[in-house]
Order: sequence, then C-alpha cells, then structure tokens
Amino acid sequence: MPSLTTQNLSKSYGGTHALKNVSLKIHAGDIHALCGENGAGKSTLIKILSGVETPDQGLVQWNGNHLSLGKVHEMESKGIVAVHQEPVVFPDLNIVDNLYAGRELSSGMGTWLNTASMKQRTRDILDSLGEDLPLNQPVGEMALAQRQMVSIARALFNQCRILILDEPTASLTTRESDALFKTVISLKNQGVGILYVSHRLEEVFQLAQCISVLRDGILVSTQSSNDLSEDALIQQMVGRKVAYPSRQQPVNADITKNKPVLELKALSRTPAYDDIHLKIHAGEILGMSGLVGAGRSEIARAIFGIDEFDTGEILFNGKKLQNHSIRKAIDLGIAMVPEDRQRQGLALPLSVETNLLLPSLNAFQGMTGLDRSQMRSMSGQLISKLGIKTGSPDNPASALSGGNQQKIVLGKWIHQNPSLFILDEPTRGVDVGAKSEVHRMIIELAKQGSAVLLISSELPEILSLSDRILVIAKGHVSGELAREEANQEKLLKLSLPEEAKQSP
Amino acid sequence: MITYLLRHRAIGLFLFIGLLTTVVSWINPAFLSAQNLRDIAVQAAPICIISCGVMLVLVAGEIDISVGSMMGVLAASMGIMVSASRAQLPPHVAIALTLLIGIGMGLFNGLLVAYAGVPSIIVTLGMLTALRGLTEIIMNGAWITDLPEEIRFLGTGTILSVPLSLWTTAGVLAMTIWLIHRTPIGRRIYATGSNPQAAQLAGLSIKSIKLFVFAWTGLLTAVATLVSVPQLSVVDSGIGVGTELLVVTCVVVGGTSVNGGVGTLSGVLCGVALMTMISTVLIFLKLGEHATYWSRAIQGLFILGAILADHWISNHKK
Amino acid sequence: MKAIFLRTLSLPETFLSCLIITLFALISQLDPSFLQWEVQRSLSSHIWELAIIAIPMTLIILTAGIDLSVGSIMSLSAITAGMLFQAGSSMPLACGAALLTGTLGGFLNGFFIARMRVHPLIITLATMATYRGIAEGISQAKPVSGFPAGFTRLGQDEWLNLPFAAWVFFIIFVSVFWVIHRRALGLHVYAIGNNDTASRFSGIHVDRILIGLYTFSGFASALAALLFVARRNTAKADVGMGIELGVITAVVIGGVSIFGGRGTLVGTCLGLLLIHETREFVSWHWNRDEFILIVLGLLLIVSVVFQKLLRHKQNSS
Repeated sequence: MPSLTTQNLSKSYGGTHALKNVSLKIHAGDIHALCGENGAGKSTLIKILSGVETPDQGLVQWNGNHLSLGKVHEMESKGIVAVHQEPVVFPDLNIVDNLYAGRELSSGMGTWLNTASMKQRTRDILDSLGEDLPLNQPVGEMALAQRQMVSIARALFNQCRILILDEPTASLTTRESDALFKTVISLKNQGVGILYVSHRLEEVFQLAQCISVLRDGILVSTQSSNDLSEDALIQQMVGRKVAYPSRQQPVNADITKNKPVLELKALSRTPAYDDIHLKIHAGEILGMSGLVGAGRSEIARAIFGIDEFDTGEILFNGKKLQNHSIRKAIDLGIAMVPEDRQRQGLALPLSVETNLLLPSLNAFQGMTGLDRSQMRSMSGQLISKLGIKTGSPDNPASALSGGNQQKIVLGKWIHQNPSLFILDEPTRGVDVGAKSEVHRMIIELAKQGSAVLLISSELPEILSLSDRILVIAKGHVSGELAREEANQEKLLKLSLPEEAKQSP
Repeated sequence: MITYLLRHRAIGLFLFIGLLTTVVSWINPAFLSAQNLRDIAVQAAPICIISCGVMLVLVAGEIDISVGSMMGVLAASMGIMVSASRAQLPPHVAIALTLLIGIGMGLFNGLLVAYAGVPSIIVTLGMLTALRGLTEIIMNGAWITDLPEEIRFLGTGTILSVPLSLWTTAGVLAMTIWLIHRTPIGRRIYATGSNPQAAQLAGLSIKSIKLFVFAWTGLLTAVATLVSVPQLSVVDSGIGVGTELLVVTCVVVGGTSVNGGVGTLSGVLCGVALMTMISTVLIFLKLGEHATYWSRAIQGLFILGAILADHWISNHKK
Repeated sequence: MKAIFLRTLSLPETFLSCLIITLFALISQLDPSFLQWEVQRSLSSHIWELAIIAIPMTLIILTAGIDLSVGSIMSLSAITAGMLFQAGSSMPLACGAALLTGTLGGFLNGFFIARMRVHPLIITLATMATYRGIAEGISQAKPVSGFPAGFTRLGQDEWLNLPFAAWVFFIIFVSVFWVIHRRALGLHVYAIGNNDTASRFSGIHVDRILIGLYTFSGFASALAALLFVARRNTAKADVGMGIELGVITAVVIGGVSIFGGRGTLVGTCLGLLLIHETREFVSWHWNRDEFILIVLGLLLIVSVVFQKLLRHKQNSS
C-alpha cells in the first residue's frame, strides 16, 4: 500500500524546537488522526507536509521516493494537499472560478475557456462530496462551512493521494460536521490517505484508525484507535507537568467577598456567545479556558468596548456601563492585551517609546508641548521594569522579538494602574524565557490589586495562574472550577462541546 | 427588493436610467429622437471604450488616472503622423503606430507598478503630468487642422448609417466580454484582485496580470482616441484633459470596487450611460441655459448617492 | 555613530536636500541671475496658496488618506465670497462665509470617511465634482471682480519684503509643526497611519482626528482661495483647478508615503521647494513650459522609486 513517510523531521524557530525527530507513516486509504495541545507542533508538521515550510533536517518520502521540500507546487503535483483551518478562497468569485483559478481549462492557446466542461467537472467533484452548492454565487457570500467545502473541493481537484485536514470542524455545526465526516469516509474508501488534525477527541475516535500524539514537538505515540481510551489519549497529550510559575499565595478568602470589579449579567451576542455571567474581584486572576472560536475573544472585546452586544449588562465597580466605547473603558481603568499582537496591539514601524506611551500621550502634554524628558524617563522605567530587550527606546517595535513586543503591549497599560486587565492569549508565539517573565508580570499585577481576566488556550498556563477558571464552549459557560479542583483533564472535557447542547 | 436592486448595481442603474428617460421624454419628446440618442451614444463611445480597460485595472486592485494625458499624447502623435503638412504617413501605418504607442505607454505604467513596486496611484499621477507635457512638446504650440479624409472617416464615417465609433465600441465591448468570461486571463484578473495571497498560492503570476491590465488600458485608450479625435476639426494639446476623472467616476458608479475583485461590464456600461446622459438631460428639461451649469454638481451628487447606497447595503447585510 | 550617519543618509529629507543643492549648483552655473532675491520673490507669488494646502494634505496622507477635493473647495469658497460681495455684503462677512463654506466642505469629507468608512479616494472624488459643480452652478461660470482695495491688498501687499500669503503660510506651518512634534496629536496621526486598529485599541479617537484633519484641509483650502482671489482680484469657478495634483505631487516627492505613517512636514516643504525651483527655472531659463510637466511627472516617479530603494537598502544593511 502506498504511503507518505517522514523521517526525523526537525524544525526550530529561534531557540525553540517546534518539531524534534518526528517519524510518521500515513497509508493511503487510512484516516490518521494527529492530536496534541496548542503549540505541540501540529501546525509546523502540516506546514512542512504541504510545502509551506522547509524542515531543518529530515526527509519526506512518497512511496519510497524522496520529495523536495518547501514547494507547495511540488507537493500538490504528488497529490499531497492541505486544507487549512481558515479557508483560502477568492471571496468575490464563484465556485467554478475558485476551483479553477490558475488551472483553467481552455482551448485555442488560452483564447477560449471551456466553461461547460469546467462547470461539469465542478459539479462532478461536488457530487462526489455529496454537496449541492449554487455554482454562480460568490463564495464570500456562502456560510463558513460551505467555504470550507470549497477549499476541500479545491484540494481534491488534482488526483489527491494524501489530504491534510487542519481542524476542519472548528467552526462547523453538528450537522455540517456530519456531512464532512461522510465526505472524509468516502474519500478514504476511494483510497485517499487522510491526516486528520483535531481537538475534538470524539471525532477522532469516530473516524480514525490510527492516532498519533505530538507533545512539545515530539511524537509521543502512534497507536491504533481501538487500543486507546479517551482518558489515555488526554493523558498522553498532556504528559508531564511543564514547569510553570504559580502564585505563591493561595487564593485570599477575602478576595471573593469584595465587591466585584467587573460583573457580566446575561451578556449575549448572537451567534458568538449567549447568557454569559461572570464576576472578577480585585486581586483575582480569572482564567477563561476553551477552544479557539468558542467565543472567549468576543466576550473580551465586548468588555473593552470594541464591539456592541445584543442584550445583558456589564457592571464595572457596581455601575452599569452605558454607551460603551474603547476610550470609556480605558478611562474607567480597563486595559486590554488583544489576541493579535501585530495587527491590534502595536504600530510596528513606530518606536518602542511611542508604542509604550500611545494610550497615555495626553498625560505628557503641558503648556509648552509634550514633555519629552518625562516621556523618556517613563519609557525608560517601563523598559527596565518589564525587562524589554531593546537597544534604544527609539528603535522601531518591529525590530523586537515576539516576547519583547508582547511586553510592550502589556507595558502600554501598566503605568496607568488599571483596575482590570483583559489578557487575550498573552503568550501566543512567545518563546519560553519571555513566557515565564510575562507570567511573573501577570502575578505581579494581581498582587498589586488589579483584577485579571486571562484568556488562554494553553491549559498549564491557565491552571498555574488562575484563582478560578471559567470554561467556555460554543458561546456558553460550560463550567466553573476553583483552583484546587481544576486539572487538565477536567478542563479539556468541559471545553469539548457536548453534542446534547447543540441545536440539531 | 430595494436591497436587491442596489446590490445588482447594473439593474438598479438601468431602472434609474429608464425612469430618467421616461421623465425627460415626457417633458420633451425630442429627447428620444434618433438624432439625440445617436449624439449621446457617440459622446459616450470613447468614455465607454476606456472604461472597459480602467475597470479591469480596478478589478485587479490597482488604479489608472493617466488615461486623459495618454489620450493627449496619442491624439498629438496621430495628428503629426497623418497631417498633410507633417509626416504624411499612410493612414493604416499611422493607426497601427498609434495603437502601438498606446500599448507602449500602458506597458510603461504596468512595468513600474508590477516590477518596480511603485504604487499605481503614484505612477499614473506622475504619468498624468508628464504625458501632458509630452503632448505639448509634440504639438509645439501649433494646431493640426488638416487631418486626411481616411482618418476623419474613423470619427465621422458611418457603416449602415451607424457611426463607425459605435461599431468600434461594440467591438471593444464584445472583446471585453470575451476576455472576462471566456479566457483564463480574465478569470485571473478577478482572482488577483479578490485575494492576492490566495492568487499567489494558486500559482498565478500576479505581475504579468497587472502588466496586462495596464497595457490593455493603453491599447483601449488608443482605440478611443482613434474614433473620437477625428470627429474634431482641430487637434490641440488639450485633448483628453479630465477624461481620467470621468472614466474613474463611471467605473465606480457602475459598482466596481476600488479594493479589487468586483466589477461588472454591465454596471460600468450603465455608469457611462448615466454620466453622459446627465449633461444632455439638463438641456432637454428646458430649464433654461443656467441649468446646464449645474451638470457637474448633479454628477457629483450621483456619485455620492451611489456611495451612500453601497454603505446602506453593507449595513443591511449584517 | 555610523548607524546614525547611515540612517540620516537614507532619510528622504537628506536625499531631497542633495537634489535641491545640486539644482542650485546647476542653476548658478547656467544662469546665476535667477538666484537674485528680487527674481525669486517675484516668481514665488503664487506658490504660497499651494503650500498652505500642502500642510493639511501632508497630515491626511500620513493617516493613509487623500483629499482630492481641495481645488474644488477653493473654487466653492472663492465663489461664495464673490457672490456675497456681488450681492452687496461687506467684504469681511463675505470672507467669513467663504472660510465657513470651505470648513464645512472639509467636515463633510471627514464625516463620510470616518463614520462611513468609505475609501477617501472615492469620497473626495465625488465631492471634488460636487463642490466645483455647485460653484459653477451658483456662479453660472461667470467671474466676479472689482473687489475693494482693502481686500486685494491682502494678496498684493508685502510685509517685511514677503507677501502676506507667505506669512499666513509660515504661521500655519509653525503652529502645525508645533502640534505635530510637541503634542500628543502628532504621534496619534502617525499611529493611525501605521495601524489604525491598534490606535483604536489604544483609545485614540481615530474618527475625531480624521474628521478634524479633513475639516482643517477644507479650512486651509478656503484660506488659499481667498488669498488667490485677493491676488488676482477675480473669483471664478475654475479657481484651483488641478491644484490637488500639484499638492499631492509635492507631498509625495517630499517623502510622505502614500500608504501613510511615514513622512514629515519638513519633507513636504523640501518637496515644494524642489518642485517650485525646478518649475520656475525651466520656465525662466528655457522659456519652455512644456518641459516642466515632464520633469515634474518623472521627478515624482523617480523620487518614489529612489526612496523605495534607499529604504530597502537601509533595511537590509
């Protein structure tokens, strides 16, 4: 049976190993699941197999023949195609044009498109997927699930041998997921090998014959799904305890008796989240756990006044917020570290100092203008306090590493002593060393009496830092755990959407 | 219903033009006379031809505001080439050379945008200025009044009692329809403008696509010059001034997005029709001479109206 | 030290200064009489109106916007003043109304751009036609002239050897320069041009700033229109025709990135100077106006290509 094999693939970014000596074998006609936590190296492996990235070392073979790596076209021509989590489509074009972009069927040296046969083949492919989509509608107007299907159809276009699906059900409803599973199984029966990457363990057990687990860039195991229980799988994914700093003092009993800094009452916005209740007290770190796309960031954006919400109330220090806006949130003492540092957090080409002082520039304004020396001393203080590694405060923020950039985003707020910090994935893409520094800062913030809402997909991070943990699944609060009772298994189980809760 | 009409810009515009025509012809039946319709069509022809090119530039995610000055250069060089008192080239040679010059200028724009990476608004703004200067150098302060009959025929002649410029416009429209709907390059222009990153992943050569749309616009500008300038008895250095704004306006009113990826030929046609009708309409409404001076204001308000409609739609989509 | 030297060398302002010095060196070889103060002063009478508009245009382009309607706002303001004067109103009242009209026109631009999130190119393309159209409509394209001497003196009198318009420009320049370099607003403008989402997330009033800048642009255009009318003693709907292209060209040659976030007011001034001296010298020495346009157009393209190369080099070194 033909197969795709990798031998000793390794890849590191900066000092961190994303993948270490991964050897994997995927057979045609098999569904092979790949599991692991965020940051375990799954996406790096997918990028290498689809030709987007080149490994530092190691080989990839198809049927025993070496493949030249780092070229999307080379991989596609061998029939190895990846469908990424975010569908890559042309939003203004219809399905036929999306499928055929760059490989149109034409006669007369490209002077006459064979639209009829292109339409026919598109319909054939969609039929084989069991989909009935309108051929003339712009893909951008379709639902996410349908766009996903267009991406898959595009992947199946050439004689597809190995199909890599990255979190294909992340944003699908149950019914849409079921349709997708049928497609996946029928492809498998046609002899296509499938590498199925998913957080959702029940899907993995439902579909896969074979399950591989990645942890910290290392392939932990490859087992038949029959030999594995869900609990055992979670155990393997989580593995050993990573050394995270944890708060020295246990939760102060007084904290929760205080008036809450922030309270949400039945906050709803369709379809992102529904009926969210939560309270955060001064000096408390409230962790918010859940899968990507569960609605956590949307809740954070509502609190910070970025988006409006449909119904419900936000109370800050007991007062109901009306006509909420970002400026109002900042003036009240709410700070936010957004999830996308480069797009939402920093003006990259501007200097470190400007970025640090951006929200508070008005404070440095006197009769004669901006007080440059005061600005310089404040930015100097922040840089040394946060340990930002930069040659000069005048260097552009773009010249710094991810960890140092994240410290700037935190530092923007710290000197204003906000009473509430919203941290959305504060250590995403941050290397290990800077990570523990960021963790130390978060603890320090709480010690000084700020309330912290910590959103993170990394379970150990949530577990080691939070006083209380709220788990969000599909826009609902699916559970609240006190620090003592929480562990990774419980969080993981709570964050997996229960089928019963979903609309049919 | 209204949302549907606004979203399908061509249909909405078409109905609006219909309404306008009905009202105007009710007040003054002469508006619908064959002569007047023909005059409007002839006036619209060069704008329509150039719009077919500029629309594709916008669809590819770029902009071209140099067409007015390109027209100036093309008119001047064509005039010099055929004039009895100047180069006296045979008309067919002059026509071929004019088309080549048009393509050449378009290629120059395209090369700077695609290969030197200069923003298209800068390149074409620079060319707008420089080519107007070039026109003045070519003309050297003189006028050309002795265009030979063969060239004059391009502008004033008729075939089957339909002006040649309208035949040409029909030909260009047919070509553009073919290009958009029947060739790979047409589909790729839309793909590039819709999502440049996805286009790159799909293996499209974005550079050559951009080069193509600019060259195509250059060619069409030459065609438009050939059928419109010979209508005039005098060629001077002011030909084409302001054309670029009128063309961009027509294309945008016709529903083409400045962010690329979206644009239909039918919408652009309606945009051209509406914009050229407005000045005539004011005369036929018999509002007196002073009303004609308001035509530019009304054009501007129409563009604003189209933008407001777009805004309204996107709010209703949510 | 070497790094600072290299950085200074690759600044567009340095590049422009070198170009200007080369130009002056060339001129002093070809025709030193051009450099006499009297000649320079008499040739500069018209540049100040363009320069006044270039200040808000610089700020707008810094926020990644553009304002094509400045020439049309000039026209509408000039006609407002002219028509009111013709109708018998006093000149100060007419001037006040003109300034108000221009400011309102700019405010409308800003409102559409900030609140409706429409591309500034499209909005100002539309208002460009609308404003001039209104001016043509109410004036019936007829000129108004015969303004009182007290008004025309504003355009013709000099103070300390410089025309009144020059002083208006200097006052605006110095105050805007101070705001941009010494107030928080200046850094806010750069932040918006670099990343408007991050700016919003940092609590900057992006909408208010954009509306303010376009309103300022309208005000400056109205001011320029009044100076123009006073200098020529005539107001007509074609006032300011095409000036937007001259202004944008100067700003871009001055090193302000059309994509926003990069550039300085000093750069714009150098751009203005370079364009002005080139234009006047070509016309003075060779008396061939047609070359000016070619030189300016090519200068625009070449300077952007050069700035791109310099930046590329700086980044790679």
